Amino acid sequence: MSRYLVSSSPHIASSRTTRNIMLDVIIALMPAVIAMVAIFGFYPLLNTLVCVGFCVLFEFLFNLIRKKEQTVGDLSAIVTGIILGLNLPAVVPIYVPVVGALFAIVIAKMLFGGIGRNFANPAISARIFLLLAWTGVMTSFVAPLDWSNLAENNMFFTVSNVFNIKMPDLVTSATPLAHVKEALELGTNPATGINALDMFLGTIGGSAGEVSALAILIGGIYLLIRRVIDWKIPLVYILSTVIFTAIFYSDTGYVGEYVWTYLLGGGLLFGAFFMATDYATSPKSPVAVIIYGIGLGLLTVIIRKFSSMSEGVSYAILLMNIVTPLLDKIKVKPFGGYPAYKNKDFVDASAIKGRALGVWNSKENMLSDLAKGIEEGGTNG
Amino acid sequence: MLKTFKRGVHPPESKYTASDPLSEFETPDRVFVSLAQSAGAPCEPVVKEGDKVKAGTLIGRAKGFVSANVFSSVSGEVKGFVKLPSSNGFKVMHVEIENDFKYETESLPPLLERTPAALLERVKQAGIVGMGGAGFPAHVKLMPKKRVDTLIINGAECEPYITCDYRLMLEKGQEIINGIKYTAQILGVGEAYIGIESNKKDAIKKLAQICPPEIKVVALKSKYPQGAEKQLIYSVTKRVVPAGGLPMDAGCVVVNVHTAYSIARAIDNGEPCYMRAMTVSGDGIEKGGNFWVRGGIPYSFIYEKTRGNIDEEKVKKVIVGGPMMGIAQSSLLPVTGKTCSSLLFLTAKNVNTLKPTQCINCGRCMRGCPMNLNPKAIEENTLADNTDKLKNLDVFSCIECGVCSFACPAKRPLLFAVRLAKKTLKERGIK
Repeated sequence: MSRYLVSSSPHIASSRTTRNIMLDVIIALMPAVIAMVAIFGFYPLLNTLVCVGFCVLFEFLFNLIRKKEQTVGDLSAIVTGIILGLNLPAVVPIYVPVVGALFAIVIAKMLFGGIGRNFANPAISARIFLLLAWTGVMTSFVAPLDWSNLAENNMFFTVSNVFNIKMPDLVTSATPLAHVKEALELGTNPATGINALDMFLGTIGGSAGEVSALAILIGGIYLLIRRVIDWKIPLVYILSTVIFTAIFYSDTGYVGEYVWTYLLGGGLLFGAFFMATDYATSPKSPVAVIIYGIGLGLLTVIIRKFSSMSEGVSYAILLMNIVTPLLDKIKVKPFGGYPAYKNKDFVDASAIKGRALGVWNSKENMLSDLAKGIEEGGTNG
Repeated sequence: MLKTFKRGVHPPESKYTASDPLSEFETPDRVFVSLAQSAGAPCEPVVKEGDKVKAGTLIGRAKGFVSANVFSSVSGEVKGFVKLPSSNGFKVMHVEIENDFKYETESLPPLLERTPAALLERVKQAGIVGMGGAGFPAHVKLMPKKRVDTLIINGAECEPYITCDYRLMLEKGQEIINGIKYTAQILGVGEAYIGIESNKKDAIKKLAQICPPEIKVVALKSKYPQGAEKQLIYSVTKRVVPAGGLPMDAGCVVVNVHTAYSIARAIDNGEPCYMRAMTVSGDGIEKGGNFWVRGGIPYSFIYEKTRGNIDEEKVKKVIVGGPMMGIAQSSLLPVTGKTCSSLLFLTAKNVNTLKPTQCINCGRCMRGCPMNLNPKAIEENTLADNTDKLKNLDVFSCIECGVCSFACPAKRPLLFAVRLAKKTLKERGIK
């Protein structure tokens, strides 16, 4: 036995580990969490913490029961938990995040092999599952909290609110996109009654963590600076959503209004930066990434316009997740092309004898050389 | 605008010895000169026990075309032949020479004419090999079977820690330029480029000052693997070496700066190749630096002389070459030779000791791969023993630079899997 460690090269590795990548994502999610508390109070924070806690617990238990190596240390369950929490409406009964965490971790992630092997984004799968299971709860969005009048507000978690499984009585508020959908049916201006600044800051109704475009952009830029995510996915997704909105809504007469409400409203920004970029479920090669981004934008706009729902980001991402294995099959040409025996253009230099320079540095050269050879052959015959 | 290639990574530079000038390293009282210091066939010994030799006496003659002569590195007496492990793990014959510490030298006969053929013959005589680390005999490289029009001198030195080429460029610029001129003359090419990474600004400035107009200094982006042949050719000329091809397929010949220096020494001074510049570095030793090291010095001697007061237990890994592509040593028995560009004594903190975890599918290996391969898919299919899929993943294009394993956040041994894939496919007759 050698005193020294002997292994195949390389001997050094980048400081990036799965754990610190996940930590970066958690940091990037913090602005959205802070915005969520500022806008809706502490109740959605409780939901998020429940999501995180149960995600970690379910992953721990799954590994324990399946006698697998413990993986909760990689922090990915925490990321899933936070994203799921931010995807819920501000106020939901406490069992909703628990069931969501169960679905996300056990069914969408661990049953398929854990981190990196899931075919669909766990948080999105869980969100869609909850949406189908408790449609009413999942679509009743509350209006932003009035901090000046806390006494009359039930959105603070009080002991009675938390343990009383019943939802607090709240004034529900339509999301801007629901409003836009209505306007589409009526043929009116979708931007009436919607304030762009409110949408940018997030003081609107909607999923607790998705409302503030500003907070999401801060987190997204952090992810881009830290090179955690591929910039192409959010860019292509957002751009294609804008372009397809402009195309699909060109006959409405309010193209500009549709574009900005669609850009800032719903889960587009959050989805583009935090969910479409999920490693396991997004393609890797540059061409595939562009197709993926365009597909996301197209599906989002189609669902928003033609389905009965006002929002389509989660479904678009889920559908494109399913296409990802196919997109990953797109062959990338290696640097230097394919080896000679695979390349049809290749002519073996040694096959033509008596030629001092039997090599062609370009196809033109080769063709002219071959043409000369044919001429010479002609005179001989 | 700095020239560069696509993809790649930025490992920490760790070039701690950059400001340390080249100085001659001590020589022990016995050296063991390896008879296999180049790619290709090992040499045939031409001395016997009891022979007196000087530094520069031929002791091993090249056997076959791809092989290079070996010379004694000290003056003294041949004590016999021993089989020792080489740094790549094979047991090879070494000539044991007792050092008389007189350092008498023997030069090659003076060069009567300086025609390309005579210069090439001199390169062959002097036993010069690719000093960058590959050890391919230089005379073979300088006789390309295809017409080349560009000579590229590799001064990129993209591996972390290594600084010997940098010091050489700073201190021996004129010799390097002369060597480039001779090389260009042998090849019959009109223009030559010296590619240097932008982190070596002094070297770029120094060489640009003394370069004649036909030799151009090209500043390259500091990025790994900038010094890999195919990447360097692309960075400098934007030409692509076809898969399975050699630089000559792109009309280029790539020669390391140290090789150019050795060529100049052999032609101008008649000095055969038995000494080289070498970096000794790492946190496991105290007195690292850049040294002129004679051939045949055991690593254990170098370690004892540079160790200082650092505990032996601290050395976790000994690497010959850079930390990205070098070879980990199981013992300090091997000796220095023509291709030893560096010897690193790394501590547990310097090297990667993390256990591989599950792939998270982040695509960093693919985005970093300078050859645009898919290391993750290669690894998966190697582990699953799926030859049919492996066939189509172009594993033989891999240049084994180690970017994939370096970039992997799950610390998976991706390059190791690619090597395994190459071996498996070769065994099954697929190439």
